Amino acid sequence: MTGENDAQLLRRVLAGEREVYAQLVERYRDRLGRYALRMLGERADADDVLQETFVRAYRSLAGCDPERFGAWVFGILVNRCRTHAARRAQTNARIVTNDAAMANAAVAHSEARDAIRDAINWALERLPPEQREAFLLKHVEDLSYEEMEQVTGVRPSALRMRVLRAREGLRKLLAEASP
Amino acid sequence: MTDQDDPLIRIIAVLKEPVALAPDLTARVMAELERVPSPGPVAAPPPVAWWRRRWTIRVSPVGALAMAAGLVAVVVAGQRFGRRAETPSLGQTQFVLVARDAKAVALVGDFNDWSLSATPLERTDSDGVWWVTVPLVPGRYRYAYVVDGTMWRPDPQAPAAEDEFGRPNSVVTIGGT
Repeated sequence: MTGENDAQLLRRVLAGEREVYAQLVERYRDRLGRYALRMLGERADADDVLQETFVRAYRSLAGCDPERFGAWVFGILVNRCRTHAARRAQTNARIVTNDAAMANAAVAHSEARDAIRDAINWALERLPPEQREAFLLKHVEDLSYEEMEQVTGVRPSALRMRVLRAREGLRKLLAEASP
Repeated sequence: MTDQDDPLIRIIAVLKEPVALAPDLTARVMAELERVPSPGPVAAPPPVAWWRRRWTIRVSPVGALAMAAGLVAVVVAGQRFGRRAETPSLGQTQFVLVARDAKAVALVGDFNDWSLSATPLERTDSDGVWWVTVPLVPGRYRYAYVVDGTMWRPDPQAPAAEDEFGRPNSVVTIGGT
């Protein structure tokens, strides 16, 4: 990894140094991967969407403001997650988790810390996707409502409502899952 | 959230933990790029005179009223307004917006991953007319305009469609009915 900033790396890629793009991938894969996994719930899905995001970003790289690569590629990821989630819902191909089994597993897990994680992930997955998205962008990715609007196209007032409902939903779901 | 007992504090802390990803992800991305053309510069716009001729054909009465209000978006494509599209070349679709006070306009849609920077519109003159031509294969596309980076504008003259996240968009169908 070099000390060059995003804009410097991006300009090298655009100048023909394709291999330099790997440094940008390494720089952003953890943050983007975390969002994809929290949003989609399945690691295989997150890996696929992440790979697709970086490839699509490369194809469109000429249209990226070099000073905003991070926000730009994150915007692509958010939309790829939406598309993936919608496709999954339409085809109904996803195996639906058994709620009761998951709740019991969360309670009965031998490691309390893992049980908490399981319960949280279980509750997050139960939220409507638009609420899950807003909650993750606000509280996990720490975006402002203005930044969220740019990524999602949804007005801040509606985003605030989604975040509020997500908080309420998570509290309620976790209370129900507790012993 | 300042209450230390609030379960949301623990939820957020857990969700911020690093996650395990495919260890070979970067290698997979780079391998796929071997089959992708190098990203090139944005294509130069065609002459303004050509564009003006098309614009005068396509403005509808509703559009004229909207223009008077200062902002209107129009898409020129096949089967719009019951006319055969006069596309500049096969597969080319022209998107047009009048936004006199805008400093920047972007076209976002299914065809560019809703990227705010992939498809900027060009301003052609002092009348606030913005346009871009996009190559599209036949199909149904959702799209919208983003003015000055923040104002999301569906096309008032195109069928409306909300995505599953409640975002207001427009729809254009290329090569279909």
